[in-house]
Amino acid sequence: MPVDPTELEIFKNLFHSVAEEMGAALRRSAFSPNIKERRDYSCAVFDGQGRAVAMGDHMPVHLGSMPASVAAAMEALDLGPGDIAMLNDPFAGGTHLPDVTMVAPVFVHRGVHRGVHRGVSGAKQPLFYVANRAHHADIGGAQPASMGLSEEIYQEGLRIPPVRLARRGRIERDVLAMILANVRTPQEREGDLTAQVAACRLGERRLTELAGKYGVRKTGFYLDALQQYSARLMREALQRIPNGVYRAEDFLDDDGYSDVPLRLRVAITIRGQRARVDFTGSAPACRGSMNAVVAITRSAVFYVFRCLLDDDVPACAGLMNPIEVVAPKGSIVNAQPPVAVAGGNVETSQRIVDVLLRALAQALPHEIPAASSGTMNNLSFGGITPRTGQPFAYYETIAGGMGARPSSDGLSGVHTHMTNSLNTPIEALESACPVRVRRYSLRHGSGGAGRFKGGDGIVREIEFLTETRVSILSDRRRFAPYGLAGGKPGKMGKNELIPPNGGKKALPSKAVFSAPRGSILRIETPGGGGWGK
Amino acid sequence: MRIGVDTGGTFTDCVVFDGAAVRVIKVFTNPSDPATASLEGTRRLAGRKIAEPLTLVHGTTAGTNTVLERRGARVALLTTVGFEDLIEIGRQNRPRLYDFNVERDPPLVPRGLRWGVNERTAADGSILQRPTAAEIKRLLALVKRSGAEAVAICFLFAFANPANERAVARAVRRLGLPVSISHEILPEFREYERLSTVVLNAYLVPRVGRYLDRLRQEARRSFRAPQNAAGAKDTRGAAQVFVMQSSGGITTAERAAREPVRTILSGPAGGVVSARWLADQLGIRRAISFDMGGTSTDVCLLDGPPQMTRETTLGGLPVAVPVLDVHSVGAGGGSLARFDAGGALQVGPESAGAVPGPACYARGGTQPTVTDAHLVLGRLDPEHFLGGEFRLDERAARESVDAFLRAQRRRRKSGERKEPSAVDLARGIVAVANANMEKALRVISVERGHDPRDFSLISFGGAGGLHACDLAHALRLAQVVVPPNPGTFSALGVLLSDIVKDVSQSVLLPVPAGGGRKQSQPRKRFLASLEERFARLERQARAELRRDKLPAESASAIRSLDVRYVGQSYELTVAFTARFQEEFHRAHERAYGYADSGRAMEVINLRLRLLIRTLKPPVRRSKGIGRGDLRNATIRQKTVWFENRSHWTPVYDRARLAPGNRFRGPAVVVEYSSTTVVPPDCVCRVDEYLNLVLTQHAR
Repeated sequence: MPVDPTELEIFKNLFHSVAEEMGAALRRSAFSPNIKERRDYSCAVFDGQGRAVAMGDHMPVHLGSMPASVAAAMEALDLGPGDIAMLNDPFAGGTHLPDVTMVAPVFVHRGVHRGVHRGVSGAKQPLFYVANRAHHADIGGAQPASMGLSEEIYQEGLRIPPVRLARRGRIERDVLAMILANVRTPQEREGDLTAQVAACRLGERRLTELAGKYGVRKTGFYLDALQQYSARLMREALQRIPNGVYRAEDFLDDDGYSDVPLRLRVAITIRGQRARVDFTGSAPACRGSMNAVVAITRSAVFYVFRCLLDDDVPACAGLMNPIEVVAPKGSIVNAQPPVAVAGGNVETSQRIVDVLLRALAQALPHEIPAASSGTMNNLSFGGITPRTGQPFAYYETIAGGMGARPSSDGLSGVHTHMTNSLNTPIEALESACPVRVRRYSLRHGSGGAGRFKGGDGIVREIEFLTETRVSILSDRRRFAPYGLAGGKPGKMGKNELIPPNGGKKALPSKAVFSAPRGSILRIETPGGGGWGK
Repeated sequence: MRIGVDTGGTFTDCVVFDGAAVRVIKVFTNPSDPATASLEGTRRLAGRKIAEPLTLVHGTTAGTNTVLERRGARVALLTTVGFEDLIEIGRQNRPRLYDFNVERDPPLVPRGLRWGVNERTAADGSILQRPTAAEIKRLLALVKRSGAEAVAICFLFAFANPANERAVARAVRRLGLPVSISHEILPEFREYERLSTVVLNAYLVPRVGRYLDRLRQEARRSFRAPQNAAGAKDTRGAAQVFVMQSSGGITTAERAAREPVRTILSGPAGGVVSARWLADQLGIRRAISFDMGGTSTDVCLLDGPPQMTRETTLGGLPVAVPVLDVHSVGAGGGSLARFDAGGALQVGPESAGAVPGPACYARGGTQPTVTDAHLVLGRLDPEHFLGGEFRLDERAARESVDAFLRAQRRRRKSGERKEPSAVDLARGIVAVANANMEKALRVISVERGHDPRDFSLISFGGAGGLHACDLAHALRLAQVVVPPNPGTFSALGVLLSDIVKDVSQSVLLPVPAGGGRKQSQPRKRFLASLEERFARLERQARAELRRDKLPAESASAIRSLDVRYVGQSYELTVAFTARFQEEFHRAHERAYGYADSGRAMEVINLRLRLLIRTLKPPVRRSKGIGRGDLRNATIRQKTVWFENRSHWTPVYDRARLAPGNRFRGPAVVVEYSSTTVVPPDCVCRVDEYLNLVLTQHAR
């Protein structure tokens, strides 16, 4: 059958709305502030071969890396109707441990055709998979919120290879119990995992209805057509870029254990409608947690090239068809077990984007923005609430300045590139944890000067009302976000602890410490680079 | 005499009810002075002699347009020190993910007009720091010097204890400027959303206030009271003006002028009210209102009373007061068609608007629109558009589609796909527009856990009837109902609306364990304490109604609770009864696919609505239902395209259809303000209220 442009658009919208619908259900019924307030989750629909077909407008870093989760679940488990796989192992389809992903197959009987719906049994191969990923507030390990400094993955929390959390529609209570025994806030975890399971079920139901309505044959046909359509869009975008090899490098501050900067190097080769992105020459994996598994590296590449297309392009696997990624095994962009990886997802992913953009700016000087803040400024803390004796664990990321664009200033106080999480309302944070937010303002003058100005970063001050264990995972404290076309760099970030008796103590970009009662943590996030003289 | 006035982008629709009959008129909107059209329409409907006091009920876009066009007041903002930039940071996210050139709307209050106040309230409502007298004096001087026209005050945790806000507000009032205070406008948690709401209110007060004052004065001047028997004039003012709120109830113009943020969805609200009214008349509980105009489509799910949301945004700014959960998409009769880089057909959100308009208006438009597509497919009758006042140019529509195809052919490599014809493309345009609207309908139905098969589609607006059956088919909706005069159905809703006063209070109370049939002591005490809080809330709300000179004693009260499981952030609203817990579990299961009766829950907000019913027009129900003779109503027969073939199709004049008429598709029904298409697989019957009721016929 020929591809009908109308039906192509309709299927694109339908698949996308399933992903969005799953996301809405997850957000509204979840318990952890990360999911419900910060919206650190993503939902997606895959075809029977595990190729992404649609992703909700959620977290870029998840979206490019979720196909690896589906592939890992498919490989490790023979999933049947009603089964749900759960995983977080960065070396088997995950990214970093707090991100727990669920994957469910959707079986639709081949005999199902337009208007007649005979249920889900009888099919041998799934027609779809649905997946969702949520950043949990704690997954065990040495530090509350599981985002602290570590040297091995074993210290970072509970590592879950693909396992069945549900079998034939029923939750495996023993698997769930094992997970809950290993985390700091088990009741919250149970609620969040239940919400994730419910979101999978919702996706399953909706896709079954959809296939029932349009017929398996037609649905399958458009699953393929969308891949070809998206690949065509990417090829046309690549065609626009002048042929050549574009090289760039940039550095992460350090790994938290030594002060040796970590190099990221890339060579992008554009030849007609194809691109090759080669990270050879990047630093070997480090002692700390700034190691990215290859799924994250691919995710960052996916993000950058996706930005060259229109905003409403379907987020299909086909987009990546014309792009080859070379990431040397064992390097910081293709980490191997058992290194720690918490920061690879949130920090290294941002720096990979910076390096890619720096290279592409040579090819497309009037489209590519200067460096944005380049760090997610991860702050996590935990302890015991004095009033109730109950433990608390909290995680947040703090926005920074956006790099100036070739035709406009960068935005201020905004999450850029690989993240788009929201802040936790202060009135929600202070109701849940024994802290007081003293300041949350723009860091005026931190954006780089230029014809167009980089956006300003943020100043955030949090007072701890009880002794609290704190982890900071940040970057761009030693290497400023670069400007482009003669624009000045943005200001570097800064971390300080103000003890209750006054004075100031400078903190490194990565730190784990106990904050005494009454002390104030002050974080200043980097501004964006400027563009043009 | 009651007159409903609904201001739209092109027309101002007026509906009058004089105690006996309903009459309708449309006049052109004057965008620079919307009050003139309202008064002109009123004058033309009411006539010279007014034998009774006049009540003018107004659905207005004054608030919406002021925000979208950024023409509001110069606002000064006073907020907790350290948080002066919160209005700029927002939730620190960006509106689009994969766009280097993404922009955020600039804040309504620029940096130089935002001042921090040294004050602080804690999460439990305890005051940590009070603003000093010296500090307040300093702030007053700053505000005075700034040239601000309105002031917004929003402090952290003011919903838990408003003392600091009150103290500062009392002082600021001395400046004689309108003051909007967060705990008064929205005493609920989440600082950014509350801040945005109160700032919007301050931003709207001067302009919307002026507009409503002028409307009120002009109405009083123009429509003088009838002389009473003694010959003395009634001095209380004969014309009373009410304004439609976003919540679907009306309030006095005076209150709307003070709380204009409650009117930002005043426009689409009327249609929702009339859709609910119609559904009730027909004994339909579950319905979806579908209002398709020239540039956009508004849809709203009605499962019993209209659903509310507190997560609306307007021009990128959150508005957290309750508004009818109306979802809008940029798909209308004027939506433009184009192909994107990957070769997919796109329709809208860009619209041809009124100028140049669709190609078939022959006013300079060349790019095909949804309306042009319908004309090419034969679904619009060029002779009967707007009752024949305006002739559609079929050739221009056809030419726009052909030119579009030629341009597309040049871009494409030959043999890649089959060659589409003009009819194929027209069908494609309609189908893509349908897909956009289908998505909107899904957002409000399936995405919220409702099965569309249980719902009837109430279709109105100029273009609704052209798409309703296709959408009903796609979503498997039970039936479609098209009321008489679909083009002025929204104005009718404004006229039908009751006077509503909504109040709420954040309480954050854990519900004692042990639900079920047996009522434990703590639970009984808990229910009693809620009862007591509601009673207090109700006394305050009734007092406010009396201040607005409304008959508070005749108001009925509706009580509901916002409930969630402990630890969640989003609440579900359930009616306040002794069994609200069971109802919450059920609602949670329905919305999110699971419930956990073992989990503790908490009550977040109490919500109270006071409602004063207004006089409704009588519903005229035909006594006899005959079989009717369709020949009387037939205008002619013509070729119309449905699915992939053409049909010889009758065109009926709706004015000549009678209750009991029944016919199978294909058919086209024309009337003054709209056209309804009956596809071949549908059956249309005319019910005793003269509605068209369309259903799929069994195959």
